[in-house]
Order: sequence, then C-alpha cells, then structure tokens
Amino acid sequence: MNLGTIMREGAPVIVQGLTGRQGRRHAGLMRAFGTNVVGGVSPNVDRESVDGLPVFPDCAAAVAATGAVASVVMVRPESTAEAVIEAVSAGIDVIVSVAEGMRTLDSLRALREVRRAGAVWIGPSTPGMAIPGNRLKLGFLPNASLLPGPVGIMSRSGTLSYEVGYRLAARGIGQSVWIGVGGDPVKGTRFAELAPFFHQDDATRALIVIGEIGGNEEEEFAATIEADGFGKPVFAIVAGGGAPEGVTMGHAGALVHGPHGAVETKRMAFEAAGVTVCPTIEALVDTVEASI
Amino acid sequence: MFLLEHDAKTLLSRGGIRIPDGILIESTSALDDAVLPAGPWVVKAQIPAGGRGKAGGVRVVDEESGLRAAVRDLLGARISAHPVGAVQVERRIENAAEAYLSLMVDPTEAGIRVLLSAEGGTEIEASARCGGSLATAVAAPDAVAITDAARRLVDGDLSDDVSHTTRAALISACELLTPIFLSLEALLLEINPLFALADGAWIAGDAKLVVDDNAFGRNRLLDDILDRRGDAYPSARFKRENGFDYVELDPDGSIGLLTTGAGLSMMLIDELRAQGLRPLNFLDIRTGELRGDPARLIEVLARFAAAPALRVVLVNIFAGITHLGEFARLLLDALEATPKLRAPIVARLVGNDLEEAREVLAPIGDRIHIEPDLGRALDAVAGHLDGGDNR
Repeated sequence: MNLGTIMREGAPVIVQGLTGRQGRRHAGLMRAFGTNVVGGVSPNVDRESVDGLPVFPDCAAAVAATGAVASVVMVRPESTAEAVIEAVSAGIDVIVSVAEGMRTLDSLRALREVRRAGAVWIGPSTPGMAIPGNRLKLGFLPNASLLPGPVGIMSRSGTLSYEVGYRLAARGIGQSVWIGVGGDPVKGTRFAELAPFFHQDDATRALIVIGEIGGNEEEEFAATIEADGFGKPVFAIVAGGGAPEGVTMGHAGALVHGPHGAVETKRMAFEAAGVTVCPTIEALVDTVEASI
Repeated sequence: MFLLEHDAKTLLSRGGIRIPDGILIESTSALDDAVLPAGPWVVKAQIPAGGRGKAGGVRVVDEESGLRAAVRDLLGARISAHPVGAVQVERRIENAAEAYLSLMVDPTEAGIRVLLSAEGGTEIEASARCGGSLATAVAAPDAVAITDAARRLVDGDLSDDVSHTTRAALISACELLTPIFLSLEALLLEINPLFALADGAWIAGDAKLVVDDNAFGRNRLLDDILDRRGDAYPSARFKRENGFDYVELDPDGSIGLLTTGAGLSMMLIDELRAQGLRPLNFLDIRTGELRGDPARLIEVLARFAAAPALRVVLVNIFAGITHLGEFARLLLDALEATPKLRAPIVARLVGNDLEEAREVLAPIGDRIHIEPDLGRALDAVAGHLDGGDNR
C-alpha cells in the first residue's frame, strides 16, 4: 500500500468522466476544497475544456500532459472497471472510484489489473478519501466533517463516517487521513491493507475503524494488527447488529449468512486484537476524545 | 442476495445439475393436492439462513403421517428468527457417499476460491479448522482456471481421502457448477452434502447460493428469479423496482425510519434497539438521487401509513452535498400526498441550509420537531413512545 505520491501537497489529480454531471460538479467542489485538479478524461466528448480544465480523450494523454498521479473515476458503474484499468495502464498511482453498483466480476477483473501494476485503487461504492491538512479531497466527503487533525479514519460506510467525523470535528478533533474503502464485497483496498500505512503515518495518532456486517474485513484487519502490532490506539464501531440474516442491507457487501459476517464475530476479533469497540456513535466520539 | 434452497436448486437443475426429487409446499392445504416424491423424505424450512438443521428447520420422516406433521409444524414457525413461509419436501438420498464443494468469490485473493472435501455434513467447516480434510485453492475468475484448480486439489491434497467414485463426482461437479457459478454472478455456491453415487454420478443434496446484488437489472438469469419468485424476496424486489433499499425489520415496529446511508441507518437501528425501541424498517433512500422528485419519499411514507403499530417517524438526513431546503420541500410534498399518515415526526437534519428547511417545514407546525443533534432527536422519539405499551 503506497500512497506516497498523493501525500505530497499539491499532488496533481485528474477526473475521469469530467464532462458528466457528477464529474463536473465534484471536480468544482474538490477544487474549492484545495485539491489540485489538473484536467479530466472524457472519451467521445468533443470538448477542449470544462471550467478551465483541459479535457483529454484518454488517461495516457492526460498523464503525459499534466503529470497527474491520482485519478477520481466518476463514470457509471458499468464503465468503472474499464476506467480503472485505463488509469492503471496510464501509470496513475492512486485511483478513487465512487460509483455504486459495480458488478462483482467487473471489480475482480479491475482488482487483478490494479494489483499487477502495483497501483492503489480505493473503491468502488465510496465517497472517496481526504487528507484535510493537505487540502486534498478525492471524491465527495462533506466539508462539514473534514478538519485537519490526528485521527485516521477508515470506513466501509459513507454516511456513518460523515456522522462520526462531524461529531469529532465539532469537538475540535480532526483527521490525518480519511479513507472510505466502500461498501461492496470486492474492493480495491481493504482495511487490513491500510494497517501498515496508518501504522507508519506520523500524522496519525489514533485510528477509527468504521465497520459493518458482512464479509470479513474487520476480522482480517484485527488479525493483521494482532500479528504485526500497531502501536497506536484503535477504536471501532460495527453497524448492523439488528439486521436480519440473509438479507442485504443497502450495501452490496452487508449480508450475514450463518456465522459469516455477523457483528459478534467482528467484535470478538477486534477485542482480541486490542481494539476498543464502541456500542454507539456517541460512545465512540467520547472514547476517542478522552484518549486524544 | 441469499437464495432460498428451493430457488437455488431450481437454477442448478436448469443448468443440468441433478437434484433430489422434491416439491415446494407453501401451505398445509397445498400438501393435499401435491404430487409428492417417493419416500422416505426430508422436510426443510425455506429460510435465508445457514445452520437450519441445528436450528430445528430440517425434519427426516419415513411415514406420510410424519410428513404431514412435519410440514404443519414447520410452516408458520420461526426458525433462526425467520418466519417459515414454505418448506421443501424431498426424497431422502440413501446409500450415497457425502462430499463437499464450495466456490466463492475471494475478495482478499482477487479470485475464485475452491473448497473441496471428501466428507460432507454440517460440521465440515468446524472439522476443517481442526485439521480435517478441506482442500482449498484460489483461481482466476474464469472457468478453465477454476476447474483446473479443482482437479489439482482432487488429485493432490485429497488424493489419499477420495474414493474412485467421490473423485469422479467432485471433478464432474466442478466442471458443471463453475459455468453456472459464473453466469449467475454468484458470490458463493456451496453444495453440502454432495451425494456421490456408486455409478460415479452425483446429486446436489443442498445448495447455498448467494448472488451479486449489483448484477440485478443486468443479468437475465437473476432477474428471472425476481420475476417468478419476488414474493419470497421482498427487499430485493423493492430495490429493483424502486432503485433504493427498504427492508421491513419488524411488522409491529413503532418507529418509521426515513434515513439515507446504509451504514448510518443500520447504526440507528442498533442504537434504537439497544434502548428497547422497535424500528419498523431499514432505509437508504439516497437523497443524492432524489433530483427534485418526491416519489421515493411518498413510497416510503405510504408504507409507514400502512404499518399498524407505527407511532412516530424519525427522519435523519446528513446533507453533506445535498441541500436541506430542497429535501424539506420534497418531504412537505410527500406528506401532503400521504394524508393517511398522521404520526408525529422527529426530523434530525444536519448540513447545508438548515434554516431554509425550518422555514419550508413551518406550515406543518407542532407535528414536526426539527433537531440537529442526533442524541436529542432519539430522546424526542422515545418521548413520543412514552406511556404506550409498544416501545
């Protein structure tokens, strides 16, 4: 997991799908936050620029002209896999894709290409990531929740992380790096893969993990820090204890079947690894505040 | 989506997989007219949950009287918290060896994981953890790679465990099930037990199938399930018809949740339940997709209006990108379109344009309580339920 090139202030970013409704809007909001958006990619669109940003026919041309190291993919879920693979092929280091509803087989195909190239893919089905201290936002995390500070956040849920970030920010506690890994079963970056990054990141003094039912990312993360050590306090909440078994709860990855993906399994794994699991949002915010 | 065993087996059967003779029974009266398979039988509750046998959802019966009693007993019962709406009555397979096969999407290894064992049974996963003979490998997500991986497992790790007939059955099963797994865009397909017959043929004794929710609307095979059997999957059907997620949790729930965001909605449900309250539903309405149309809100409010025990509506909207003023106008339209809903509303609103939202909602008067703090909003909800017996 190498987020190296985007950790520098002013890292150049492109938006794939810039000429679309969502792409154009969020490119504007990312720039307003301070992100150095240097251009966009829209195949089949005969335009030279949007809001002063150059539009390129493909990622390779965009990278050659702008030196972009990161891309935010804002295209339809059916087109996301090809867009991610195109970005990787063009040498982009970090790709954030926001679309919800990617087919899992498409995600698998894109993931295999990303790994082969040694790139980082965050998403799909995520509001993205931010480094508030660097004025970097890739995606659409809400400004009301973003504040520079010492807490790392990684989350499978957008809205639940907004709520946690917002309440902590109201108490003056901000974030070092905030990464929404997304709500799909197959994704570019999983909690466990981020453990070494947050462990090494000097700006991160504590980590919040926002999990939910389904899959085994929480267990995998717990096993990783139990084996490798983490050396910083970790706080977690896991949503979905009240969800019925066998029913998907909004996120495609939020499904419990049998012992697989249940809250209790995740809580036990976290606690065995020394993670403080909080029962409510309020308890999480209080606990983090007390420890910082 | 987790498929009921009956539907999973129907799909396998259409793909050329042999399944036990059986019939789906949805009422005790239907049993009288049903053309039953030859006995002895096994009667299985059709619920979207694993571990049915241990939970009492599977009955083995030899006599027709016992069969009737088992069907009567299971229909309408609750097994693992699920109401049993149907049972599968099947001929019991005897004199066959039991094996185990599972194919699953492995998100960590970015491939398809194959798990095979020369033994089946309910303890297979637990036994594997204790050093049992569960062989596993991960392959690229294509049919050739998956079947090659399976063949290597059978002739490698499992070669000392498998009989000649079980070996043939496992290899045949992988060859036939892999293309079905891929075309159904499955996340998990588990056959346990896989009955290996003396002649080398095999029968899928049970089938646990989870398919990709993101493929609905784009995969003919999956859409066909909801077309034919939508009543058994109300949440998935709702999602396909309406484009957002609504899950009824508790038909006697007293709190209607009008919420956006899957994670936050789940967390609210957990917190309400921890206080002894009874939310009616889970909802991720996706405010970013409303685009000036109150249709989604009207759809949800109509469900609240029809809920017999509903006492209060809790709105929770965190408007990070969207605008509360616009949402408030849509909510007002939706309330006007749903006069049958008279319950008080606690609206926890945070984000852009809160003051505008207050002005828009002012005509509703005391019926709505706007509260930016979630903790205080939950207190207000509890306040509306005080004094009642339906907390």
